[in-house]
Amino acid sequence: MRQTTTEKTTHPALIFWIVAGWVGFVLLPWYGVEDFWFMEWLTDGWPLDTDYAPALFLLLQGEKPWLWPVLPALAAPLLVMRRPKTDPLYAQILLAAGGFGFAWLIAQGLGIGIRGWNAGWLEALFGPLGDRQYGMGYGALIVASAFLFLFTQGIAARGAINGDVFVTGAIGGVIAVVTIFVFFPIAKMLLAAFVTEEGGHSVVVFLSKFFDDRIWGLGCLSGARCGVAWNSLFLAVLVGVLSTALGLVFALVLTRSGFRFKRSLRAITVLPIITPPFVIGLAIILLFGLSGTVTTWVADLVGMRPTRWVYGLPGVLIAQLLAFTPIAFLVLIGVVEGVSPSMEEAAQTLRASRWQTFRTVSLPLMRPGLANAFLLGFIESMADFGNPLVLGGNFDVLSTEIFFAIVGAQYDQGRAAILAIVLLAFTLAAFYLQRFWLGRKSYTTVTGKGDAGVHPEMPRGLAIPVYAVAAIWGAFTIVIYGMILYGSVVQLWGVDNTLTFKHYITAFAVRIEDGGIRWTGSAWDSFWTTMMIATVAAPLTAAIGLITAYLLTRQDFAGKRSFEFGTMLSFAIPGTVIGVSYILAFNIPPIEITGTGLILVISFIFRNMPVGVRAGIASMSQLDRSLDESSLTLGANSWQTFRRVILPLLRPAILAALVYSFVRAMTAISAVIFLVSARYDMATSYIIGRVENNDYGLAIAYSTALIFVMLAAVGLLQLMVGRTRIGRRMSHEQGGG
Amino acid sequence: MRTILVGASLLALSAGAASAAGKLNLYCAAQEEWCQVMARGFEDATGIDVDMTRKSSGETFAQIKAEESNPKGDVWWGGTGDPHLQAAEEGLTEPYVSPMREQLHPWAIAQATSAGDRTIGIYSGALGFGYNSDLLAANGLPEPKCWEDLTKPEFKGHIQIANPNSSGTAYTTLATMMQLFGEDGGFDYMKRLHANVNQYTKSGSAPIKAAGQGETTVGIVFMHDAVAQTVAGFPIVTVAPCEGTGYEIGSMSIIAGARNMDEAKQFYDWALSAEAQNLALQVNAFQVPSNMGAQTSDKAPDLASIKLIDYDFKKYGSSDERKRLLAKWDNDVSTLPQ
Amino acid sequence: MAGVNSRAASVVFENVTKIYGRDVVAVNDVSLRIEPGKLVTLLGPSGCGKTTTLRMIAGLEMASKGRILIGDKDVTTLPATDRDVSMVFQSYALFPHMTVLENVSYGLKFSGYSKSETRDRAMAGLSLVGLDGYGGRLPSELSGGQQQRVAVARALVLEPEVLLFDEPLSNLDAKLRRHVREEIREIQQNLGLTVVYVTHDQEEALAVSDEIVVMKNAAIAQIGPPRALYDAPADTFVADFIGEANLIACEIVSVTGDVAEVAVTGVRHSLPARGLKPGPATLALRPSRIRIVEAGGLAATVEKVTYVGPRMEYTFAGDFGQVFAVSDNVDTPYRAGDGVMIGLAASGPVLVPDA
Repeated sequence: MRQTTTEKTTHPALIFWIVAGWVGFVLLPWYGVEDFWFMEWLTDGWPLDTDYAPALFLLLQGEKPWLWPVLPALAAPLLVMRRPKTDPLYAQILLAAGGFGFAWLIAQGLGIGIRGWNAGWLEALFGPLGDRQYGMGYGALIVASAFLFLFTQGIAARGAINGDVFVTGAIGGVIAVVTIFVFFPIAKMLLAAFVTEEGGHSVVVFLSKFFDDRIWGLGCLSGARCGVAWNSLFLAVLVGVLSTALGLVFALVLTRSGFRFKRSLRAITVLPIITPPFVIGLAIILLFGLSGTVTTWVADLVGMRPTRWVYGLPGVLIAQLLAFTPIAFLVLIGVVEGVSPSMEEAAQTLRASRWQTFRTVSLPLMRPGLANAFLLGFIESMADFGNPLVLGGNFDVLSTEIFFAIVGAQYDQGRAAILAIVLLAFTLAAFYLQRFWLGRKSYTTVTGKGDAGVHPEMPRGLAIPVYAVAAIWGAFTIVIYGMILYGSVVQLWGVDNTLTFKHYITAFAVRIEDGGIRWTGSAWDSFWTTMMIATVAAPLTAAIGLITAYLLTRQDFAGKRSFEFGTMLSFAIPGTVIGVSYILAFNIPPIEITGTGLILVISFIFRNMPVGVRAGIASMSQLDRSLDESSLTLGANSWQTFRRVILPLLRPAILAALVYSFVRAMTAISAVIFLVSARYDMATSYIIGRVENNDYGLAIAYSTALIFVMLAAVGLLQLMVGRTRIGRRMSHEQGGG
Repeated sequence: MRTILVGASLLALSAGAASAAGKLNLYCAAQEEWCQVMARGFEDATGIDVDMTRKSSGETFAQIKAEESNPKGDVWWGGTGDPHLQAAEEGLTEPYVSPMREQLHPWAIAQATSAGDRTIGIYSGALGFGYNSDLLAANGLPEPKCWEDLTKPEFKGHIQIANPNSSGTAYTTLATMMQLFGEDGGFDYMKRLHANVNQYTKSGSAPIKAAGQGETTVGIVFMHDAVAQTVAGFPIVTVAPCEGTGYEIGSMSIIAGARNMDEAKQFYDWALSAEAQNLALQVNAFQVPSNMGAQTSDKAPDLASIKLIDYDFKKYGSSDERKRLLAKWDNDVSTLPQ
Repeated sequence: MAGVNSRAASVVFENVTKIYGRDVVAVNDVSLRIEPGKLVTLLGPSGCGKTTTLRMIAGLEMASKGRILIGDKDVTTLPATDRDVSMVFQSYALFPHMTVLENVSYGLKFSGYSKSETRDRAMAGLSLVGLDGYGGRLPSELSGGQQQRVAVARALVLEPEVLLFDEPLSNLDAKLRRHVREEIREIQQNLGLTVVYVTHDQEEALAVSDEIVVMKNAAIAQIGPPRALYDAPADTFVADFIGEANLIACEIVSVTGDVAEVAVTGVRHSLPARGLKPGPATLALRPSRIRIVEAGGLAATVEKVTYVGPRMEYTFAGDFGQVFAVSDNVDTPYRAGDGVMIGLAASGPVLVPDA
């Protein structure tokens, strides 16, 4: 029999968080402990040693008196444990205790730092403080989470979001982590835009810097150079449109054609995202550069001097298309598969030709996918920094300008902040444009009714160009990767083409001795670190991304739109800005995590989360709401509904999110540059080091090895996630059963 | 009073936290191999554990600045001198007078005195350029020997140099021209050079890498970078310009508020010794060491045969002068048609 | 019935209002009581608030004002998952990635049954709707009617206190519709379930309901058993919506006790007054209740004649306007143009106030 909660006075979630809160306060070290997981602190003076002491023991020893108010806030929720949820006191106590506890923890964390009071006015108000505190540890983390989730349970008990504990908790949790790890650091960084040379703050300074001619100049209309803002915008629009078109082409070939080698095509399509970015740039130079194979060949053919045509817009465009088409593809494939065959069949029975069906039914139903793919392409292009650096020539874009404003000869963080604001403004505009384009129409195509239709094949007029484009682009990709593979087994790429395996041996040598394996190659350290961090980050990224997508599509709450944009922020900003802003924000208490592996994991989660969010939103807007609702009325709670009904139907989106976040964690450079440390060096920063040292062979060999590792990982993920079986026949030739 | 107390207790704390053997966080801005050799060499010499993080000079500077309120690094070793001077100017680094000073070349000590002892020279490298001999022949160009050769019309579209706004190397070039030809003559030279430049790269060593790959004929860089290309196997010929040239002083600084101050000073002294500087011979580092007793690689450009100008680091390293020159270059040179 | 029992409970709405956004009133101050074990239909045109009312019982929408009780428990703020209610959706909402058996077992999994009991109960549910042996199929491999029955089985096996249907038959063909609705009614009566049923099809409502709640403009227009609604509609809206009605303008000349003297185009007739006062009123005439009389009726001519198999359909026209009528006499039908007299038999016409 289903229990009705009206009489229920035991609330598992409530009890869990109350207990967690006390465990955090009484048992776990309150402040950060190095190498927490080695558990050495347990035998090293815990619980009395003030370095490792839980909060309660600190207080009992007369230390950190500002933690006293936490105690009553932890005690108050005990009062509600025996009360029914419908009792108004239940909600009031949880709201008050959770809200106060959380707010107090933040206030004391921001107010008291390693040098006592963090702000002059606090000292003026309370007098000097003879004490200080370091970064918060697991104890503080768990107590803060407990307060947060007690608070959201209070909100739920008041009937918000249909009284749903999981949803309110998820919203609270996601908002909290996004605020801490996205808004907070970025705000810290962007504040620099308002700083004058004397260190004060001024809006005038901001405006004058903002409307600088170097940013907005229109010189290119009259033969000179345009401002970086226009360059970036033009490039990003081109990349957004073309990568979406290419992604659609591949998705169509895979879902709506009788093409035989779909699996290999799929592999080729996603290959570029599993490639460390500089490798593509290098391959393009070797093909199209001044001394490139293709350039010299064409030049000989037409009898012209080879030119540096690839440097600038063409090169960056090619490289970015190679890099970002797979993302568009991954977003689109789910959506294109998701379009209900019945609707297409219905259109055909309504006397629409295949072409008309495609144009009037299939394509419009793919709009969420198209819009999201464009948005991702646009933003990625804006934020991409590696490709313009290698191939940009004199075509300056915002991302490179930002990087060199930070690390270049001018050390002008203010300018970096201004440029980042310009970039964000474009992103914001693109975001609202795609929302506007999608409008309020419904794109639901997976309803609760069984749908046994078959996707029609593409109309002939469309199929020919689609095949042609897919073939050319596929061949191009193969050539590029052939070259990369070749480059890893020659002495010196482009100069000395003697075959050799020495690069692989240098990087990945292994010796078996004393019955164990010794990883003697120079790349192993960074390789294992990278693998570990990517493996930890990927599932977390996908989880947070999909939960966020679920909240955004299925739940209504105040501030949803700005929250949605907020989740895109960390993705839209070039990695270097994120890197610096993370140091600014997380090198000091209350959250002091620089130099740890944790900061890498966190930066990856919040940097790559938007892909999960976008893919999730696109797929989820195709699922009929009655599926969730029927699950709810069948007694499943929101979490169970999410896990058993929504997630299984979202497999393509999950795969996209997992693959992307895993791969990005292995190939990202820009954000990592500032966050790696001696103990946590990443593969990409190692590779860049090799390139700077002219060890191209080693760098390419390492990249090639990474490509194969990631290919294997993608295959493994695909196996683990599996296919959603909803009984649609997959295509005409397989459709016998 | 309070800050002193806190400072003292911070020191006490870091001493307590560090294990008996001690440890050191080294921010290294030279090339990877050299950094490794330095870190391991110091470990072998002292038994102190070294955690080494390698980044470019600009990145290291940006990181130290971002970490200002709670420094994580102890010593910043290597990389061109300008960011070290900038850090000294902003008080990000700690003054220290090493007992090893008497063994150093005067230019290394001059670097220290110009920055209030907050930094010191560890190596120097002269500015020059390199060309791809294959491309030069293919295009039928004469061998360039002097700065002036690069402005000849036949070199149009063959020269690459970094953008002085983003690269210390290119800024050194700009400052060198000011000192070689005077301010007016210098800018006039930069304008004529501008007509021949095919690309202003972002990073300082990119032009010579492009030359190595055959993407440009000539790259203006520090000569040791050009030599490294030749050693790596690319057809690059390094040129010391006939008019004379400027140079950089690779520097080292102790980060203000370092947690392992004692170890940092120990490293500082060790890194100035001849034996430590001789480690450069094991890796492809072709700079001139600052310790008079240290050896220079035989492949390195011979500083004696190069006409070095008396580079005024104090003047051209100051941020005001830099801003002025860069603004002038931005307005007068970069906007010209090519 | 093997394995499926009833725990029917009552449903009570006390002054329930639902407002969307700032000022879109979907349900306005509705009070009603649904007795346990009864099948009650919410009937009305689209947009009248019937689906919102149903969703508030389910807990998919929360009331803005008022109280909702199921059994004797106040469930006003309880989310759907915590209410003992199941719902059959218009679109069936079968989970496409689960087999039929998995679909039916779904809710049982969250009800604390053991694995074997879950399976037994799901099987019993399937056999209740006549789908033994279909457990391993995917929903897409079933016909529309079968999918519908899976959806019913899925809701039934939970033995909910209240079972909700949201236009469950709208996707079925006419024949199947009659069949399934009889099945639903049969199961409901056999198990004694409390069922709330939303439809806009008045015939369906009349056929299955113990009681019908007619809704209009976010409020209740009338509540009553089918016959009462049909025979004594509260107003012209209900009269017209429940079964077809010919509405004829009339004049109440006088009221004596419960009897009103009514005049229609000069012809006088006595009818139950239903609390109306003298003055203009409306007369509702059911098409099936129209009798042709020799004399003393309303004069009319036959305008249209249609033969539909079991009966004849006529349109008569006169000074009162047009009326639609049906007659079982198919052997000697009237012809178009014939003059007839329409009788106002005692059980036929009903006086209704103007809505």
